[in-house]
Amino acid sequence: MKKKIISALLVAAMAVSMLAGCGNKSESAKSSDGTVTLKVFSNLPDRKNGQGLVEQMIIDEYMKENSNVKIEVEALDEEAYKTKFKAYSMEGMPDVVSIWGQPSFLDEVVEAGVLAELDQADYTDYKFIEGSLNGFTYDDKLYGLPRNTDVACIYYNEKLFQDNGWEIPKTYDELLALADKINAAGITPMAMDGGDGWPMAVYLSDVLFKLTGEDYSDVVSNAISTGDFSDANLKKATELLKAAADAKLFQNGYDSQDYGTAMNLFTNGQAAMFYMGSWESSMALNEDIPEEIRTNIRVFTMPVVDGGKAAATDIAAWNGGGYAVSANSEVKEEAIKFLNYMYQPDKLSKYGWENGVGMSAQDQSEYMTGDETKLQMQIVDAVNNATSVSGTPVNDCGPSAFKTSIESEIQSVSNGSKSVDDFLSAIGTSCK
Amino acid sequence: MESVGKRKHIFSKPLLWVVLSIVAIIQIFPLVWLVDFSLASSNEMFTSGLLIIPEKIQWGNYAKAFVDGHFLLYLKNSILINGLAVLVVILVSIMAGFACRRMKWKLSGFVKTLLLLGMMIPIHATLLPNYKIYNMLGLTDTIWALLIPYVAFSLPQGLFLMTSFMESIPVELEEAAVMDGCGIYRIIFQIITPMLKSSIATVAIMTFLNNWNEFMMASTYLSSPKWKTLPFSVLEFTGQYSSNYAVQFAVMALTAAPAVIVYIILNKHITKGVAMGAVKG
Repeated sequence: MKKKIISALLVAAMAVSMLAGCGNKSESAKSSDGTVTLKVFSNLPDRKNGQGLVEQMIIDEYMKENSNVKIEVEALDEEAYKTKFKAYSMEGMPDVVSIWGQPSFLDEVVEAGVLAELDQADYTDYKFIEGSLNGFTYDDKLYGLPRNTDVACIYYNEKLFQDNGWEIPKTYDELLALADKINAAGITPMAMDGGDGWPMAVYLSDVLFKLTGEDYSDVVSNAISTGDFSDANLKKATELLKAAADAKLFQNGYDSQDYGTAMNLFTNGQAAMFYMGSWESSMALNEDIPEEIRTNIRVFTMPVVDGGKAAATDIAAWNGGGYAVSANSEVKEEAIKFLNYMYQPDKLSKYGWENGVGMSAQDQSEYMTGDETKLQMQIVDAVNNATSVSGTPVNDCGPSAFKTSIESEIQSVSNGSKSVDDFLSAIGTSCK
Repeated sequence: MESVGKRKHIFSKPLLWVVLSIVAIIQIFPLVWLVDFSLASSNEMFTSGLLIIPEKIQWGNYAKAFVDGHFLLYLKNSILINGLAVLVVILVSIMAGFACRRMKWKLSGFVKTLLLLGMMIPIHATLLPNYKIYNMLGLTDTIWALLIPYVAFSLPQGLFLMTSFMESIPVELEEAAVMDGCGIYRIIFQIITPMLKSSIATVAIMTFLNNWNEFMMASTYLSSPKWKTLPFSVLEFTGQYSSNYAVQFAVMALTAAPAVIVYIILNKHITKGVAMGAVKG
């Protein structure tokens, strides 16, 4: 009898706690007095610096202008963000979310039907750079808006170059020859974040684009849809990446060193070049970097490859991160209103430029203050003078299994522990 | 014979000291390193040396960790959630251990095996299904969302240690207690529990350390800052591409401190607990 009473009590306690939990849940996003709560799920956990600061500034401004709207931000870093995104996509996606305009991310998400379709006609006045919406379009429908334009850059230390009489390479062969000269001077030629996988995949895409020119996206999407990476250009690009590693272009142990280590080699003068995206142009403003180095950072893009179809002005650039609205949001209209507010040209674009977080996906020319660093101007010029841009790097063009595979195999192929053919067939298998 | 024994004694003591010192240095070095780096600036971080001598000691890192990292709120949550988890795990594992080991009922062996099977389930496999269940029950973003899995994942280990330790307590004690008219709950809490001290310490410390740094479940099941735990504090300084490492080191030093303190307090009992539990099957 006693036992039964206790178990009944336990059941009752559990039921009560569950009911209490449900009570919290039923709190509606749109309450009776007209206040709307927007949930923003962001991949920028640092709200006090860089892109996260820009995002927070706009959110604060929006709440000030619209007193009936309350915005709650939840921010996680990329890995945790993607895990939680999966959890959310089963049910209860927040209203405005960060997304990546790349097939490896977007395809699965759109097919699961979690993102709301946006009206393309709304954005004709938003000055989006030609082609920047492509990555966010699926079956001719627009599902998100791009935040940045990213350019693959080779940063170099101008003073080191001048002091030693080195010249900016015009061809890939010259780049490899330069590696010998710089090594002879006892300096690391190029700092490479090989530990993470993706920077080398970007390097591979960069070289591939120089080889294929405008056929780049066809070659890549063909290979990914058939799982056959034996295309001559893909093979050549991989061999060129390996040639760079063989010529000791990268630092010792590049294949296990991470972002910070590679960047630090460059920012304290131990390396003459640094391969990274345009977002690091803020190095020129970073007071943690010794002045004689930060004022001498300049940039060039991947030199042309012999026999390749692309000219020097065809550059590897893409629009990676961005925002979208959840399809099942209870306050979808408000969410889209907020999204559009963020993308008014004088918000994300302007604030981003002023805070040196890199180039937005919109035309920023009217926000130039004249105080830009030489480095910033060089990147802007590179984009403005570009005759064509590559689009998404190879690693982000396929399903997520492919991304994982290429980013983990690329170190083995570059350091010679795996042959080029084995590498190409291994990444091909992961597409199937 | 005596002289041989003595010589052995003379040699073994310094050797013991040397080996122990080496082990101690290896164990303590990461903590020294952590504190050292937390007082440097982000820029000094990438040296080839093992330790860095900061040009200026950056106490500001700690100030930032406290204010921008919401340290106190997260500390409160961490202590509350971990404390409750430890209490529940100890209570349930003692009671379940007693039920499975000492009480005679048909399925006692089966139930024990079933509970211990929990040790084999990886957290990753349960992450998304659990999220779905919590969401249906409306438990996400509440304290239960962390308390339930923390208890569930620590319970098998706790139960395992408790049952094997309980073996060493003579049944005659309980028989004597029953003769004197003692009820079952009194047996557990007044006779058995005081004798389990060292295994309670072991279970407490294992549960506490396992859950103190847990981030994956916390990041999946929580969304508002209300119940976020200390590992989230590190995240507040993670940038899109590069992070404020110096402040992250400060946060980690602050996060490690309570765990180290708990370990030192309970340390006396833990070795005894594990060793005694290990021999009995």
